[in-house]
Amino acid sequence: MIVRMSKIEIVGEKPLLQGVLALLRELGIFQIEPATVGFIEKEWEKDVRSFMLDEKTVFERLFLEELRQKIELLFAELPALAVRKSYIEPVSILDTVSKTIDRHRESATDLSKRREVLVKERAELGRYSIFLNALASLVQTTAETPDLDFIGLTIREPDMVGHLREALSRITNWKYELQTEPAEDGTLVGLITVEKTASDKVKKSLSDEHVPELTFPESFGKLTFPEKVTFVKKRADQVLREIQAIDAELARFTRRWVPIYQRVKEWIDDRLSLLNTTAYAFETRMCFFIHGWMQSEDLPRLKQRLRDDFGARVMVEEKEMHEEDLEQVPIVLKNPPYFKPFELFTGLLPLPAYTSYDPTPFIGIFFPIFFGMILGDAGYALVLGTLAFVLLKKNRHQGPVRDGAKILMIASAYSAFFGILFGEFFGDLPERLFHMEPLCMERRTAIVPMLAFSVAVGVAHIILGLILGAMNAFKHKIMKEAAYKALSVVIIVFLIVIIASLFGYFPLVLARPVVLSILFLTPFLFFTGGLLAPLELLKSIGNIISYVRIAAIGLTSVLLAFVANNLAGVTGDVVTGVAVAGLIHLLNIILGVFSPTIHSLRLHYVEFFSKFIEHGGKKFAPLKKT
Amino acid sequence: MNYEKVLIAFCAALAIGIPALATAWAQSRIGAAGAGTLAEKPELTGTIVILVAIPETMVILGFVVATMILFTVK
Repeated sequence: MIVRMSKIEIVGEKPLLQGVLALLRELGIFQIEPATVGFIEKEWEKDVRSFMLDEKTVFERLFLEELRQKIELLFAELPALAVRKSYIEPVSILDTVSKTIDRHRESATDLSKRREVLVKERAELGRYSIFLNALASLVQTTAETPDLDFIGLTIREPDMVGHLREALSRITNWKYELQTEPAEDGTLVGLITVEKTASDKVKKSLSDEHVPELTFPESFGKLTFPEKVTFVKKRADQVLREIQAIDAELARFTRRWVPIYQRVKEWIDDRLSLLNTTAYAFETRMCFFIHGWMQSEDLPRLKQRLRDDFGARVMVEEKEMHEEDLEQVPIVLKNPPYFKPFELFTGLLPLPAYTSYDPTPFIGIFFPIFFGMILGDAGYALVLGTLAFVLLKKNRHQGPVRDGAKILMIASAYSAFFGILFGEFFGDLPERLFHMEPLCMERRTAIVPMLAFSVAVGVAHIILGLILGAMNAFKHKIMKEAAYKALSVVIIVFLIVIIASLFGYFPLVLARPVVLSILFLTPFLFFTGGLLAPLELLKSIGNIISYVRIAAIGLTSVLLAFVANNLAGVTGDVVTGVAVAGLIHLLNIILGVFSPTIHSLRLHYVEFFSKFIEHGGKKFAPLKKT
Repeated sequence: MNYEKVLIAFCAALAIGIPALATAWAQSRIGAAGAGTLAEKPELTGTIVILVAIPETMVILGFVVATMILFTVK
């Protein structure tokens, strides 16, 4: 149900505003309304303005915002590690923190930058390492002489090797050696050994042929090839050690200081949130005003706390709620424990308007019935009930899974009930094994009675929706709509009487006066519902026929179960038969969870709620501690 | 006689088959658009469920007509 809300005005001496806001936040029962519309009478509007912070508070706010930004920047430089929780009093260390933060941030930034440079260097060394490792074996077999030069290169296409050899033979007059080796990354690396006099010519030729020569950074200096290999290894180890040292230093810093800064930041967030909330307050020359909404049942508690903390210096007044306020009232839904889990389904819809109904109890009552009518199998209900029980045991904390399990448990109970009525336990097993007759009807063969039963349920459901809609309209003095919905109910009942007369359930003589009555009521229908009224009525009749899905989907479920049992019999072997039947029944159970749920919900959302529920409510968002 | 039975069964099959195809087509379009919408606005789940479910009325009406053909046409 929708909880009754109160429109509240809190007035007090201006210096007490922050204290009052802190109390409201602590209680978490009051939603501030930032607009004055509906709260301040027109003649007073010129004397009331938005609350302005004094100079000292503005400076405090700027100081805290700057400090928070610095702490966030410091956190960005530090690794994300799990740290202890600090219980230090933040206010007492605020000044110290504001002095140390710059130094700490500078130090952390330096370490981070140094680390970044080292990581980059390590990546580059890794690249050279791939090349040099591939050539290491070649270099070892090559004689190291001062007259020779080594040129390293990467060969992307193996076909290029032949072409390269031709070019080198031409340039060096056959005085060269080219060795190739596949590298770790899959490319082919090559090492050309030539006389130093021919080295420049070869390099130019490689450049002309677009064969990339591997160039080393200046730090490699004039090292020979074997020296380069050793140098890369040594430097990579050194860089890794340096990175590890910086990581250790950053981790030590994080573990020591982050809990303290985190504690201070939380306090700053809280304080700034409070200061920002003052923007929603109003003031006159002497007083502040806070306007808002709260649950009526919480009002005595708020009054008591304000009286205890501020005496007569702060007053609370419950203001009269006007027609124009109704659209602004935030919504709180509160339901008894049985209906509470069904709020999971209500949450899929927009919130109802304050003047409308909470859909939850209706879903709570009718959803399990429809689910049970569609599934209607005691065996399946047993399986689903067990599943729901396991889920409930495994999820002890409130949440969507636990709510879903509770709904499944209730729906399973209804399925078991209808299963007993229809004589179904894993399909027609009771009849096959024990020759048991259904208590009510056998769905597989009684198709027309099941259709009639579903339509009857639809008629009851839609008429209930129309009656609730008429009552709601009447309560809000929208007489035309109330009359239109009441007329729709009467005409639907008349139409049913006509159909019943035509099929011989009622005397045929009854049909004529009822038709005349409908013709008599039609002008009133136009008058109350407008030109589209007959179309709306047709829609309602369509809505009723839509309930046939209860029988239709139920029929598919029972036929699938029947097929499963038949196939089991056809196999001629107990084990195979049980396996085949079990698999098909399992499929049917899976379908039996989703299909009845979706269709039952659809019957509520589309057919039933469209008759009486108005959406458009806003969620109640009380002021709370962050 | 048998020919008439076949014809009745065929008509019933058409009565439910054609609306089933129409529903499938409509739901495929609405479902695809709905999935796109949900990626950006998950709060519209209820509305999307309703929109996807609306065309099902066609096949339900088809089922009613098929049942009437099977059980009332002699």
